[in-house]
Amino acid sequence: MAKTLKAVLADAGIPMNFQAGGQAPDQLIDREIQREPHPRVQKLKHIFMGTLSSASNEFPYWYTREYMLHDNDVPVLRRAKSLKTAFAHSTPVIIPGELLTMRKAPYFRGSFPMPWLSEGFYMAKEDEFYQEALKRGSASVDEHSKFGQGGGNVPNSFGKVVSIAGKFGMRQEEIPALLKLARLWYGKSVDDLGNRYEKMVPGYGTKEKIMRNIVCMFDSGFTLPQGREVINYYYPLEYGFDGIIKIAREMKDKVAGRADGDGMVGMNRLYNYEAVIYVVEGIQSWIHNYAKEARRLESLEADAHQKTEFKEMAERLEWIAHNPPRTFIEAFQMIETVHIAVLNEDAISGMSPGRIGQVLYPYFEQDMEAGRITEDEVIELLELDRVFKTSIDCFASVGVVGGVLSGNTFNTVSIGGLDKEGKSAVNRLEYLILEAGANNAMPQSTLSLLYDEKLPEDFLLLAMEVIKTGAGYPAFMSNQIAQEFLKNHYGHEGMNVEDARAWAIGGCLETSACTWKPLHLNGKEYWIPGGAGQPTSVGVHFVSMPKILELTLFNGIDQKTGETVFAPHDKSLDTYEELFEQFKTYWKEAVDILALTNNIQHDIWRKNNMAVFNSLLKPDCLDKGHLINELGYRYNATFNVESAGTITLVNAMAALKKLVYDEKEVNLKEMKNALKDNFGFKTAQEINSFSLADQEKREDGDKKWDKLHFKTLQAPKYGNDDPYADNILLDWENFFCPDCKNYESLYGHPMYPCQISVSTHGAMGSATIASPDGRLAGTTFADASMSAYPGTDKNGPFALLNSAAIWDHAMSQNSQLNIKIHPTAIKGVEGAKKLLDLTRAYMRKGGFHIQYNVVDSKVLKDAQKHPENYRDLMVRVAGFTQYWVEIGKSVQDELIARTEYEGV
Amino acid sequence: MEMLTYKDTRNYAPIDVTKGMDLLTREIVMADTQAPEGYEIMPKCKFCKNFKETDTFIGTCEASMNEPRFIAYPDMTAVTCEMYETM
Repeated sequence: MAKTLKAVLADAGIPMNFQAGGQAPDQLIDREIQREPHPRVQKLKHIFMGTLSSASNEFPYWYTREYMLHDNDVPVLRRAKSLKTAFAHSTPVIIPGELLTMRKAPYFRGSFPMPWLSEGFYMAKEDEFYQEALKRGSASVDEHSKFGQGGGNVPNSFGKVVSIAGKFGMRQEEIPALLKLARLWYGKSVDDLGNRYEKMVPGYGTKEKIMRNIVCMFDSGFTLPQGREVINYYYPLEYGFDGIIKIAREMKDKVAGRADGDGMVGMNRLYNYEAVIYVVEGIQSWIHNYAKEARRLESLEADAHQKTEFKEMAERLEWIAHNPPRTFIEAFQMIETVHIAVLNEDAISGMSPGRIGQVLYPYFEQDMEAGRITEDEVIELLELDRVFKTSIDCFASVGVVGGVLSGNTFNTVSIGGLDKEGKSAVNRLEYLILEAGANNAMPQSTLSLLYDEKLPEDFLLLAMEVIKTGAGYPAFMSNQIAQEFLKNHYGHEGMNVEDARAWAIGGCLETSACTWKPLHLNGKEYWIPGGAGQPTSVGVHFVSMPKILELTLFNGIDQKTGETVFAPHDKSLDTYEELFEQFKTYWKEAVDILALTNNIQHDIWRKNNMAVFNSLLKPDCLDKGHLINELGYRYNATFNVESAGTITLVNAMAALKKLVYDEKEVNLKEMKNALKDNFGFKTAQEINSFSLADQEKREDGDKKWDKLHFKTLQAPKYGNDDPYADNILLDWENFFCPDCKNYESLYGHPMYPCQISVSTHGAMGSATIASPDGRLAGTTFADASMSAYPGTDKNGPFALLNSAAIWDHAMSQNSQLNIKIHPTAIKGVEGAKKLLDLTRAYMRKGGFHIQYNVVDSKVLKDAQKHPENYRDLMVRVAGFTQYWVEIGKSVQDELIARTEYEGV
Repeated sequence: MEMLTYKDTRNYAPIDVTKGMDLLTREIVMADTQAPEGYEIMPKCKFCKNFKETDTFIGTCEASMNEPRFIAYPDMTAVTCEMYETM
């Protein structure tokens, strides 16, 4: 039998240890804190747990039908009329027991394709889908029950259900319509049109090769054109939908026929306001349809209590369809409605509610004072919100939904931070948000705590207790670092300290520009924060640093495909400095071509597929009369460059520096041969395991690379407070962060760095050969951007924090550090305090983000073997929490392998 | 009277592509199983006068303003369609 790397190392007397700071108990240890939600919530959660991701054609059907009627209209109005029709025809589905309603599609966990963005990924399987649709027989309970083991994913077709993109199920009866609708968009979608024009960019061929060889993960222009931003609920809360229409009508009268000094787009304001009216009317019809359904259910209901709940739901919906909400539950229903409406407008991942503890506080405060609601009722609603948000799916291709997002939609809620005057913003409602997060641990909304020294200690300790549930939240983000980044990057657009304090996390951990607006409720004024920036899901996304190193070492040739991606540099790379310079040259070439081509995709998006509803919500669109595409948002410099595989690159460069250049233990040619030969091991794909320790020696593999491989594994590694490796990280950051400013977005603003991995470290690792740090072909990269590579951080958590904080995190939108901790390491009150001390230490050192996976690795191993026993097991991946059974195997393997701290 | 499957009745709330809730009994039921007698029919294109079937699972909506008439599919719910007409 082939030996694993762990066994090979053991034979050589080299320990491979994935535990640090002690030894975990032998038995499986569950999380210390375990709570249950309210019975009503438990019932709905139970339904969710057995629900499949389900796709419907309804919304795209009505959108397309209307769109095709208006081929001569102004683009923004053509789009607005289509959105209005689609919203107005969405079938309402209300599940008894829920108090907050409205959903994306007519299923509990529904979504739908948007062929106007991209139809290619399912059209490519047209014949296959047709056959699936026609040949399907009747559903079998046995077949169906198998799918429960994979969570809500529908990886294969079964019964009358056709699997799309390995995740979504669609009824066979809908497949012919799916394909016919898609065909109507052929050559017209953002994907197709963008591709026609991006080909005109000189060097486009390199871009294609970059994508084909997974140097870059995805095009942002047509996959997820919006997201990783903070929504703004202010206008519907302050004015109601009738009020918004009134504003738009008044503004139309003011701007009709007037350029007002802007000869380029001044005249467009008329069409934009008209579009706002259309879309809001569509949303009002949609709400009314839900109200009618609630009335219908009321009329059918025999149970008096449920009958009253349907009646009150109908009354709430009828009210908020026109007016500003008056109570906490009305306001909550309003923000849920607005949230789903935005998500139905575009393919979006990471539309974060932001600081809803601040936004909903006026209603909470006044309801509590008036005795209209109790804290227990508020907690129940907050728990229901977690079912509501976790049920949100985003329909996109398998590469995006699986490879990048792990099925997550990143509806992040931020808590903590400062208020407009600079005082702690923590209020009683934010404590309840934490309580609800512990009671009903579900992936959405994940919680981000905006850490500041001014926050109350008991609030921070409560956060630690929530972390101990193993939910993976709240993550901690530094308020001071974020504010510094925002002032630096958006200063030229007017960002001041006051607006910087309004910030929140958009997406998993994207620092997002926000602002304050005055909300009025019963004569009292409250300043509430909300999003004021464009999406940050846009720009150059996920460029693989280890792959660029591979291309640098091999003269521009991808070693997995044999394709020449970059023009050969023909350099001998005799010095470390020459190697690093060439790496940077290829990096810049990749980022430049990706920036240009993505700009074109986004330009097509803004011309034909602009956000109308999301735009009207964001300051200052309603005031200016310009939507997102005409720089109506207050902050528009949101395009970024995303890196992936930072620490794998740092470790690889450290090994090359040490072994090839400084100590000359091996020459570069021999190192390259070892990498090509994968140090004598099989590939990860061959053995279907993606963590380093499990990799197997090839049967024909002799020991010729063993010595070198051991040396690469023992070379200096990031995460140990060792300047040899950490200074490489410092050099990289001091190049990368300023370099991003050299690329300009289509909106004319400089870009900035974004350093998260989401799940790309799995997919990109899979496409990359062995690296000089000893990592083997096809295995994952280190996760995130500041996490140590599994098993390599041996000097304790504080050493890891020192390594991570070596550079100025305020130069970047974010950085990301994940730590896995065994539940026993932070047990009891003392354990919570230790965890807070560790967190605080990192924030004080200048770290931006830290989050914890409190889990026993043995539980994860057992869950991989017996997924049927772990439907509700959640893990923190990289910036987000997800159900274990819904994430891919490579990321599962990486999560198991991460260093487990047995003490902090 | 023809018996309806659950997914063709208004007494059914779809949870996913395979199942939903019987709104009268609160039981989780399979979409394709037969609903009890007397359950209210769900307006769908296949029950609409304006639907013209052209092929398996596809047809046209004769009430659409589009030229040629826009596609429709028999299983699409039409509770919100102002052009829905019972046969």
